[in-house]
Amino acid sequence: MWSGFAVVFEPQNLLWCLLGVTLGMLVGVLPGLGPAATIAILLPITYDLEPAPAIILLAGIFYGAQYGGTITSVLLRLPGEASTVVTVLDGHEMARQGRAGPALGIAAIGSFIGGTASIVLLSAVAPFVADFALKFGPAEYTVLALIGIFLVASLGNGTLVKGVAAAAAGLLLATVGSDPMVGEPRFVFGSDQLADGIDFVIVAMGLFGVGEILYNLEHRQSASADVPAFGRAWPSRLDWLRSRLAILRGSVVGFLLGVLPGGGATMSSLVAYAVEKRFAADPSRFGRGAIEGVAGPETANNAAATSSFIPLLVLGLPANATMAVLYGALMLQGVPPGPALIDQHPDVFWGVINSMYVGNLFLLLFSVPLIGLFVRLLKVRQSILAPLTVLITMIGVYSLRNNVFDMVLVAVLGLLGYGMKKLGFEPGPFVLAFVLGELLESAFRRSMRLFDGSLLGFVTRPISATLLALFVIAVVAVPLLRVRRHGHLDRHEVGRGGRDDAS
Amino acid sequence: MIAGIVVAALGLAALVLGWGLGFGSLTDPGPGLWPAIVSVVLVVTGVVIAIRRPDDTEPFTRQVVAVLLAAASLAGYAAVIEHVGFEIPTVVLLALWLRLLGAEGWRVTAVVSVVATACAYGLFISVLGVPLPHLIGA
Amino acid sequence: MQFTVPFPPGGSTDLVGRAVARAVEKPLGQSVPVANKPGANGAVGGKEVLASAPDGYNIALLVKSLFAITPLATKDQTAIDLDKLKIVGTLTTEDYVLVVNASSPHASLEDLLKAPSVKYATTGVGTGAQLSQALLFKSAGTNATDVPFDGGAPAVTALLGAQVDALAAAPSEVMQHVKAGKLRPLATFNEKRSSYLPDVPTVKEKGHDVVVDQRRFVVAPPGIPDAVAKKLADSFTAARKDADYDKFLKDNFVERWEVSEDEARQHIKDARAQYAAQVEKFGLRLGK
Repeated sequence: MWSGFAVVFEPQNLLWCLLGVTLGMLVGVLPGLGPAATIAILLPITYDLEPAPAIILLAGIFYGAQYGGTITSVLLRLPGEASTVVTVLDGHEMARQGRAGPALGIAAIGSFIGGTASIVLLSAVAPFVADFALKFGPAEYTVLALIGIFLVASLGNGTLVKGVAAAAAGLLLATVGSDPMVGEPRFVFGSDQLADGIDFVIVAMGLFGVGEILYNLEHRQSASADVPAFGRAWPSRLDWLRSRLAILRGSVVGFLLGVLPGGGATMSSLVAYAVEKRFAADPSRFGRGAIEGVAGPETANNAAATSSFIPLLVLGLPANATMAVLYGALMLQGVPPGPALIDQHPDVFWGVINSMYVGNLFLLLFSVPLIGLFVRLLKVRQSILAPLTVLITMIGVYSLRNNVFDMVLVAVLGLLGYGMKKLGFEPGPFVLAFVLGELLESAFRRSMRLFDGSLLGFVTRPISATLLALFVIAVVAVPLLRVRRHGHLDRHEVGRGGRDDAS
Repeated sequence: MIAGIVVAALGLAALVLGWGLGFGSLTDPGPGLWPAIVSVVLVVTGVVIAIRRPDDTEPFTRQVVAVLLAAASLAGYAAVIEHVGFEIPTVVLLALWLRLLGAEGWRVTAVVSVVATACAYGLFISVLGVPLPHLIGA
Repeated sequence: MQFTVPFPPGGSTDLVGRAVARAVEKPLGQSVPVANKPGANGAVGGKEVLASAPDGYNIALLVKSLFAITPLATKDQTAIDLDKLKIVGTLTTEDYVLVVNASSPHASLEDLLKAPSVKYATTGVGTGAQLSQALLFKSAGTNATDVPFDGGAPAVTALLGAQVDALAAAPSEVMQHVKAGKLRPLATFNEKRSSYLPDVPTVKEKGHDVVVDQRRFVVAPPGIPDAVAKKLADSFTAARKDADYDKFLKDNFVERWEVSEDEARQHIKDARAQYAAQVEKFGLRLGK
């Protein structure tokens, strides 16, 4: 482990780390252009590097992008990844109230603490945690996705029934593509382009970013009226007091859920948000610019980004698209990630892990001056900012598959986002349900095949049974008791009930 | 009212389109089961919304033309860049948004659209190497 | 120059593409950037190259399964016709290895086939991993259910966690777990034993006529001038001798497939006919 620090502190490796996090932050800020595409594009540069610096550089891009992504989520309402969607809810609201600085500041601090705590845990318990992740089979993912979808429906601030409708529409869009079990095309209309379904980033960019821009086109006059006053650039004492426990809880939630391949990072931010809403003295502040609603999820998604290295480095199993590209990079370096990595290439293993301490510190130091700079973006006139944002979004979306069809899709989904906003539907539940719907359906159908069509399988496996019991108590029983006591059920109580399963 | 009808109609449409997919059963689900469940939820929520008529929708104004034009410009942009490269369509797209949709002056329009296109070229093509179709240096 | 790899970055086809792109730069005398254009098992990127200018600057890496297996699972009227494409270089062949968890009670292929019920993971619908196992279990009369996952990594994860009983996957996806003692190889699906697993029998040796593999080759659009095609072909021939490329193949347990264009076409045509006949014979349904 200490040899890892020797690797990190070689001047050239510090430089690669710095370059990586800088690039990561840059692509994180550019909506649509994600870390997976960037790492793929930069792979050839690493051919001539030694394995340790190559992976230090590429890993830096990954977690650097997590920091950068927050900036566009808060300022422009453009979440680049599923795990930053919930940040938009309160983060963008804070920006509209002229509190973009504190929102970004607390996100940077939370990300630093969450990321660092996660590295410490990773160094200490990685092998144990990796084995735990393997115990999660289709049954456990089914229950996890079910919990997630119930949390999603209760997230918004509009009418509950509209939240459910938006989530259902998201679930429906997720079925576009080939059926996960038998390959039958669904709602594909004979198009190859849709055969593999629609990329999440296109849905998020369309519904949030482009939809918002189209909506503002119609409201140009009124939009210019509420340009937010440029407030303080850093969190106040009160902000910090409100956020510190959120950061602590977010670190734990993020680390644990991030280890799970397939939806772990998304679930972590969602659960962190629900937890904060539950612990808040006044849950009605959420969705209206509550700083804990930024601190919790942002801490959690960075902790999750770090712990998602565990399956890759310990088991050789990439947990998401970006990890798959990093896996490829290690293969091309002749350093196959997996159980043997820590013994055969300790310099790579510990070098990468320890470089994350340094990288996170770089990112925190960058964030301070950059936040001030980026917040000024909000001073640019909407009529100039909008076309530039749209252009960057279009190019970013193109880079996902290098495909112009995706640009058309984002325009169509932008119209959908505009229409939804006009009719009083929120994009948050739609987009998150889109991610979780895919997971729920395929995990449930895999479970049915494994259990020979018996639903009993869910209650005979210890982990899924435990999760299911917590879910039933929290989502069904507790709110029902409340209804009997108060004679009604409002959405905050559904939201509150939902988070118990995770605590 | 409209919101509810739209949601219910979407659910119905999905039910009709997904009818032939094969439902199977809950314990042996076919490709059509999950879309059908979701469609039914859509229809039910749509009806509830239509009945309750929550007061949170906005009327569509004449400005909707600008919105449609904007969305169409993006689709058009996507359609042409494969054939003529990204440089000229980008300048045109930005100019359209700045001048027509944004009501900026000609000078701002010209400067911003040309400079932004050059910056985008430098960043995405020269630095990041995104394989966008382009004319210059192709 | 643009080398289209119609698969997502980081996957096995992408890695082969990147390794050969790197090796072919010197003989071609120019840089060869890889562009990933994933979708529909390579059909999206493949069609794009098919429609591109036949000037030698647009080439793509395609796979055998797109022509030999995908048509069995989905009926696509607009599927690419291999006869229209020019093959400018054949590259690799990869076996499928049947593995079980090391804690599995099944010590041999015979044990597994005699099990009362087998749940096997596949890397997706219409893949060689699905076809190979479906044919094997069907021909042996085993009561087996396929459980498709979204690619190799999730399927391997499920087997490592003993969520499923068996899995067929490429050696590059499972060998490190075999070496670490977590997974046990039972058989391979090629004509001959894998040079990386000389002690593991083929299913054919064991009396089951199932041969499935994955091969990769480079194509150019139709109408490419002969001189240009020859330069490309010569460059790929030279690239295959590159030392780094050789090391990449060995590190990733990939074998060489270096034949003429005509042989390659015939091989894929034969494989397709054979798979179609076997699927018919056993009444298999890969797709719906």
